[in-house]
Amino acid sequence: MAPARVLALSLADRQALIPMAAGYLILMSALGFGLIRLYRPGPSGRDERPDAPRATPPGPVPGATPPDPVPGATPPDPARTGWAALRHVAGTVVGGYLLLMAVVVAYYFGVARVGPGFLESAVSGTALLLGLSAPVFLGLSWLADRRRCS
Amino acid sequence: MARHPLIGYLVWLVLFGAVFAWEGLALARVSGVPTLSDAFRMIMRYPVGRWALFALWLWAGWHFFIRGWHFLLRA
Repeated sequence: MAPARVLALSLADRQALIPMAAGYLILMSALGFGLIRLYRPGPSGRDERPDAPRATPPGPVPGATPPDPVPGATPPDPARTGWAALRHVAGTVVGGYLLLMAVVVAYYFGVARVGPGFLESAVSGTALLLGLSAPVFLGLSWLADRRRCS
Repeated sequence: MARHPLIGYLVWLVLFGAVFAWEGLALARVSGVPTLSDAFRMIMRYPVGRWALFALWLWAGWHFFIRGWHFLLRA
């Protein structure tokens, strides 16, 4: 059973938590809706998936109308598969973690010493998140690769 | 009943409203307004951009799901 003090949020917690939770739900719903739209074929039957070949480099090009891509001509990017992809993900994870730790340490010693367990929580809490999310991400990516290849 | 300061809600409302208004304009193909996907794609071309976005994601997860909650980190 959850401790009562966890459920009994303070005014400050409610003020931060409720709008952020609502915003998070709205944002994730919008992203989900966008994904559904992206993976649904367009009115002209054109493949609008994100990994579909693009005739123009990504970026805002107002008024540009890319020609229809050739169906089935989507060779897998070697930099996004196998060990190269693993190196790419590992580099991002390690770099992001170290960057966050640098910011947290700089904040703690340079701006505000917010509490005795702050640094420990930052190191262990984010490591816990990584330990939970990285295997799931790698597993799902592997499954997606297998589906794409088969 | 506790009185909630309205200004906090208003600030969050304006911030999220601005983000959704921007995305709406971009999806409506208003010229010169890139979508959030375009912006993130541009940022993620560079390693430092990827690190910064990942650090932001990690901070958000730590802040909302880990910090102050003790069910997994009870000493």
